[in-house]
Amino acid sequence: MDSSELYHIKQQFTLGAFRALVRQPLPDKSSPDYVSTLLYKARSYIALNQAKSALELIPEDAEDIALKAVSALARFVDSTKSSDAETSLEELRDLSVEIEGDDVDCTEKEKALVRVLAGTAFARAGEIEEALETLGSDSEDLEAVALIVQIYLSINRPDLAKKQFDRSKRWAEDDLLLQLIESTIGLVTGKDNYANTNSFYTEQLGNPSLSSPHLLTARGITRILRGEIQEAKSDLEESLVQQKGESEAEAAYVVAVGLGASKKPESEDLWAKFVSEHGSHPLVQDITQKSEMFDQYAANYVVPPQITLSA
Amino acid sequence: MSVMLTKFESKSNRVKGLAFHPTQPLLAAALHNGSVQLWNYRMGVLVDRFEEHEGPVRGVAIHPSRALLVTGGDDYKIKVWDIRPQNRRCLFTLNGHLDYVRTVQFHHEMPWIISASDDQTIRIWNSTSRQCIAVLTGHSHYVMSVQFHPKEDLIVSASMDQTVRVWDISGLRKTSPNSGGPGSSNPNGPGNFEAFDTFSTVKHVLEGHDRGVNFAMFHPTLPLIISAGDDRVIKIWRMSEMKAWEVDSCRGHFNNVSSALFHPKHELIVSCGEDKTVRVWDLAKRTAIQTFRREQDRFWVLAAHPNLNLFAAGHDSGLIVFKLERERPAFSVFQDTLYYVRDKYVRAYDFNTGADIGLLSVRKFGSPYVPPRTLSFNPAERAVILTINSDNGIYELTNLPQQAQGEVKDSSVDGKKGSGQSAIFVARNRFAVLNKTSQLIEVRDLSNSVVKTIKPPVQTNEIFYGGTACLILSSPTAVVLYDIQQQKTIAEINSPPVKYVVWSHDSALVALMSKHTITIANKNFSQHSLVHETIRIKSGAWDDAGVFIYSTLNHVKYCLAQGDHGVICTLDNPVYLTRVKGKTVYCLDRSARPRTITFDPTEYRFKLALLKNNYEEMLYIIKTSTLLGQSIIAYLQQKGFPEIALHFVQDTNTRFELAIECGNLDVAMETAKSINRPECWERLAQQALKQGNHKVVEKAYQQTKNFDKLSFLYLATGSKDKLSKMQKIADARGDPMSRFHNALYAGDVQGRISVLRDVGLHPLAYLTAKTNGLEDLAAEILEAAGLTEADVDDVPLFGPSTLKPPPVITPTTDLLWPSLSAGENFFDRALVNGQLEGGIEPAYVNGDAAAAGHSALDAWAQEEKQEDIDPEEGGWELDADGGEFQPAVDAEEAVAEEEEELGAGATPGPSETELWVRNSPLAGDHVAAGSFETAMELLNRQFGIVNFAALKPLFLSTYRSSHTYLSPYASLPPLKLHIRRNPGETAPSRVLPVAVRSLESIRTELAEGYRFVSMNKLAEAQSTFRSVLQALLLAVVSSDDQAKEWRDTVTAARECLLGVSIELERRRVIEEEPENITRNLELAAYFTQCQLQPPHMQIALRSAISVFAKANNQAHAARFAKRLLELKPDPKIVAQARQRIAAGDRNPRNAVEISYDEFSPFEICAATYTPIYKGTPSVHCPYTDATYLPQFKGNLDPLVQLAEIGASASGLPASW
Repeated sequence: MDSSELYHIKQQFTLGAFRALVRQPLPDKSSPDYVSTLLYKARSYIALNQAKSALELIPEDAEDIALKAVSALARFVDSTKSSDAETSLEELRDLSVEIEGDDVDCTEKEKALVRVLAGTAFARAGEIEEALETLGSDSEDLEAVALIVQIYLSINRPDLAKKQFDRSKRWAEDDLLLQLIESTIGLVTGKDNYANTNSFYTEQLGNPSLSSPHLLTARGITRILRGEIQEAKSDLEESLVQQKGESEAEAAYVVAVGLGASKKPESEDLWAKFVSEHGSHPLVQDITQKSEMFDQYAANYVVPPQITLSA
Repeated sequence: MSVMLTKFESKSNRVKGLAFHPTQPLLAAALHNGSVQLWNYRMGVLVDRFEEHEGPVRGVAIHPSRALLVTGGDDYKIKVWDIRPQNRRCLFTLNGHLDYVRTVQFHHEMPWIISASDDQTIRIWNSTSRQCIAVLTGHSHYVMSVQFHPKEDLIVSASMDQTVRVWDISGLRKTSPNSGGPGSSNPNGPGNFEAFDTFSTVKHVLEGHDRGVNFAMFHPTLPLIISAGDDRVIKIWRMSEMKAWEVDSCRGHFNNVSSALFHPKHELIVSCGEDKTVRVWDLAKRTAIQTFRREQDRFWVLAAHPNLNLFAAGHDSGLIVFKLERERPAFSVFQDTLYYVRDKYVRAYDFNTGADIGLLSVRKFGSPYVPPRTLSFNPAERAVILTINSDNGIYELTNLPQQAQGEVKDSSVDGKKGSGQSAIFVARNRFAVLNKTSQLIEVRDLSNSVVKTIKPPVQTNEIFYGGTACLILSSPTAVVLYDIQQQKTIAEINSPPVKYVVWSHDSALVALMSKHTITIANKNFSQHSLVHETIRIKSGAWDDAGVFIYSTLNHVKYCLAQGDHGVICTLDNPVYLTRVKGKTVYCLDRSARPRTITFDPTEYRFKLALLKNNYEEMLYIIKTSTLLGQSIIAYLQQKGFPEIALHFVQDTNTRFELAIECGNLDVAMETAKSINRPECWERLAQQALKQGNHKVVEKAYQQTKNFDKLSFLYLATGSKDKLSKMQKIADARGDPMSRFHNALYAGDVQGRISVLRDVGLHPLAYLTAKTNGLEDLAAEILEAAGLTEADVDDVPLFGPSTLKPPPVITPTTDLLWPSLSAGENFFDRALVNGQLEGGIEPAYVNGDAAAAGHSALDAWAQEEKQEDIDPEEGGWELDADGGEFQPAVDAEEAVAEEEEELGAGATPGPSETELWVRNSPLAGDHVAAGSFETAMELLNRQFGIVNFAALKPLFLSTYRSSHTYLSPYASLPPLKLHIRRNPGETAPSRVLPVAVRSLESIRTELAEGYRFVSMNKLAEAQSTFRSVLQALLLAVVSSDDQAKEWRDTVTAARECLLGVSIELERRRVIEEEPENITRNLELAAYFTQCQLQPPHMQIALRSAISVFAKANNQAHAARFAKRLLELKPDPKIVAQARQRIAAGDRNPRNAVEISYDEFSPFEICAATYTPIYKGTPSVHCPYTDATYLPQFKGNLDPLVQLAEIGASASGLPASW
């Protein structure tokens, strides 16, 4: 059983309250929670795409295998050159192999964490198969399950995701993360009009012990999916008030505005702004790609001559 | 019947007779020691005692409608009492019985009293004439009881002679039309027994008991009689007009049965006996249901309340009042609907319409005699969980039917049961069950399987919903807010056992109700306040403004979050509040019938406004309400708002007090004037002095003629002229001391001297004059005193005095000490502005506002609503291949073959966009799916579109708006989510992308184009119409009606575009080729030939008229004017048009010859803007159907610049 502080941190991490999490001070070094808190904090930095801050947080000479894995992940996320990325990936591969050995001195929890971190990096690198292999299909670690489920969902296999979820339901006592997993599956399958997802996020928004704009964003997106554009907009606006310029909320807001009954120029302006500010967001990249495709396909059609009137 | 709920108990001598008051909570008890007690059993107090009988009193009864009590005792006497507290006394005594009187009773409508006696007779007495009107003989032993039939002219008696007899007394009524009875006409008085026997006859003699019979009574509605005897048996008898016979016996008592009653409402029998038990029996089955045993006391008498579910039993050492079942109905409120249980049916009551329908039978749930205890409602699933106390506590989870059906569903059909004492929904798809004995809380999902088990941290007796992921645990000494996820206590409040929990509408506050306390806490229990009640608290509900309204046994009260509380109204009988809206309290009464109570919320609204500093509301209340009494004023004063209280008060004394208290001198002054008592002025002066308002002080001193102080005040303010006035006044008053004072203060030496002279103090006057250098005056004084300088030469010489009042540096006479404004006093401002007269009712949130949207319940329900929306589901279903690409998503079917796939080897499945592409033949859907290639193919095939460049922004924005991204899990690439048109649909063969541009939104844009035309912004209009036509290509159409609408929109947009283009061309011609009048006129004429909107047509016609008139083509202009008139324009325009027509009639010629034949129908070539008359060859745009001259075939259409003119096209696919 985790201590109350650690539980809270875990809850924040699970629900995406990364900004609040990194703002919290670390406990005393002698505290039994120190390393766990440090790990969560570093992972939150990584989730916020501030891998450098994560690296600063982790002591260079960390012996702890989980810490090593986190710093490897941080370096991977931070790397701009493919060779650097490959080095970090190699490091994570080594760590995953290392924990399989008999003589390693670490707990099951740490092992699971290393797998999760390695799996995250592999998934980011597009090595789906490797990620799944590392995580293992019979994992009894919910974080691993969450990862596996999301990977399955990303390759359009909600059926497998569902199966993985059903499997973990047997041993994971209605954990918050389990509920999140269920809600994520609902997000993709759209079962019962996204009812589960919507109620999950609504319930968590009402949770007195935590607040995270990420939840608002998530509910906003759910509402977009449910076709409640006005409500979605208000959620997203609220989320953006709480964290200005957050790319996910901005992206969703652009979509919501595009779907709403608002004027076209407004949506286009927002889009232009979004493209300039968050050029690396998958939505932008996707659209750029589509735009190229458009030109390519449009070129297949011969445009007949304009009428020229000899006036 | 698992419980017998004792409501009241008293200790006394043996109780032999009992009677309930029909309306008030009073119970009369006849005691063996000769006393008759009147108890208020609700409050538990002895109201009165009647002690005139000698020896035991056995019979007692209360009049059904009047404040009368009748008693009969072992002193053979029957006494009638007035029980009104102010009037209580023995009204009269009926003498006649020759032995103990066993029972007495009032008739329900006649002024009759019936009595049974050990003298073997039954007597009926007229309580008006106070005489015996009938003596019924026949029993051959003590008559132990006698009762009137509740409706008919029958009586039933029980006797030690082992019989029960039914008597017909209809004769008695017939012969006593004036309720006098034969006795009144009988001069012999009640001595002559035989005379009465003709009026009453024994109808039936019921034999069957083996011993003496102690009690017998009629069933209130059925032809049944119940009797209880010393043979330990309760017998049930049925009677008809002709005969009566024994039906059955209830055996079980193991000593004499003293009494047995029919339950007034249920099919039950309640009996008591000397075996020290009270027993409950099923009337239909004649089986024992429940036994209540006492250790010591034999039971002697039972009484049932005529209307309520209450019984009383008298025993050797007192009495008990008890209920057989809980009356609190199980209920739950969601939005405007109350879900509750009545008579073992779950019902829904709509607060707005009052509709009340049964939804679900729960008759088979638990014991048939026990009503369900609690109900928890889940709006998202439209499910209920009920709990019941029988069978050691069980719960049942059932779905409610969507609508009331002809045959009400029984919960046993699909209900999911389990054991547990407390069960509630904690989330949309979770509920928690408490098992009290094992002290475990199980969280279960909707299929009733346990997903989590919690060991509560405290001894828990009941659980309640505690907000998201939380439970409220009620323990004997505290109430705990418990986080289910984290399995830990968030907060704990010490409290007596909490019985009910009510959340406010916005889930910000919660009321925790115990027997005698209410704790109001915020949602994480960090703040709370406590309200104590001496009377038992029954129920409560939140007003929308955050006021808690609750009911006790006898009051409806309110309680503010900070703990202030007060009475709203009194209650005759307890009710269970379900909801408060505006001035109405909705509640369930004890028989679970919905009721409403209207009340005046002014008091608590006012207090709430005060707490929230909502002055507008307060002002409004002050203005409109008349009901604010002393208590409010006291409250305001106590809370430190005297200035507000001031505005309530008319009474001048109170106003004055309040004004002084809050330092409002103006009001104080005003009121002091009207009171005009010295003490008032003095207090006003004091207060004004404190505040430095010397003018008020001055006034006050003037009023009280406090000259000394007044003078001193003038000195202090340096008001010399006032001081001299004061001198004059003092002179007038003949008060030399005062004059002297004033002179001194004013530094008026002469004045001083003159005072001294006037009072004859010449020496002092002389000296004063002398020392101040007024030699002449001194001499004058001497002279007046009849002395000379020589007489006073022994007086030492003093130098001139330097003593004098300080000079006035700043004249403060007209200056008041500036007082700091005590903040913005809203009320003063309002009063000054006169706003008080015209206050507008502020938006008080209660009841009027929609319930706050954040409560979890609402959210659950919203999902529910959404599910119903299913726009044209299956519209695009292609049945033939519907199943082909199922397996990837439909896990159910594919389980077997996919088992081995779990893990690393998983292959990607078909993406949602692929499904979209497969499911739709519409280009818009393909664009949304990102399949631009197929979208272009479709557009080309359907509409002959070839120039896609213009559509690129549209394609991209459509695609962009159909997808969204979310990262549910840290650091992974976000999931791409696809927005569906039909969120309720999950079958892969039916999912479709969202309609980014709906037909409606495009039509809105079209309307904008119309506006541009009206505003003469033709260039903007042209581009708008083009954009409309582009957008229409990607519009989503899913029915014939929509397809027609789509086509109409395309045509309308095309016509407008054509018209606008022609007009633009005309303007270009005017600009660039001003001499080309023919073309100018032609284009103006063609413009009128487009199918425009009526207002635009007017514009086109008016412009044509003016152009043609200018060119002197009067005939054409007149023709246009005629067409204009048909459109019924403005009167002004009509006049102009008429002129034009007149001009045309005068001069029907055309100066310029143009190519325009309005009488033969023609289309306009959209490229050259020339007419193509009917019958001549033409080609069309495959998309807009615009007409072109044949030579343009194969060119790009110039109008929209999308399609190839004359290309073949299949048109909009109609596959719905």
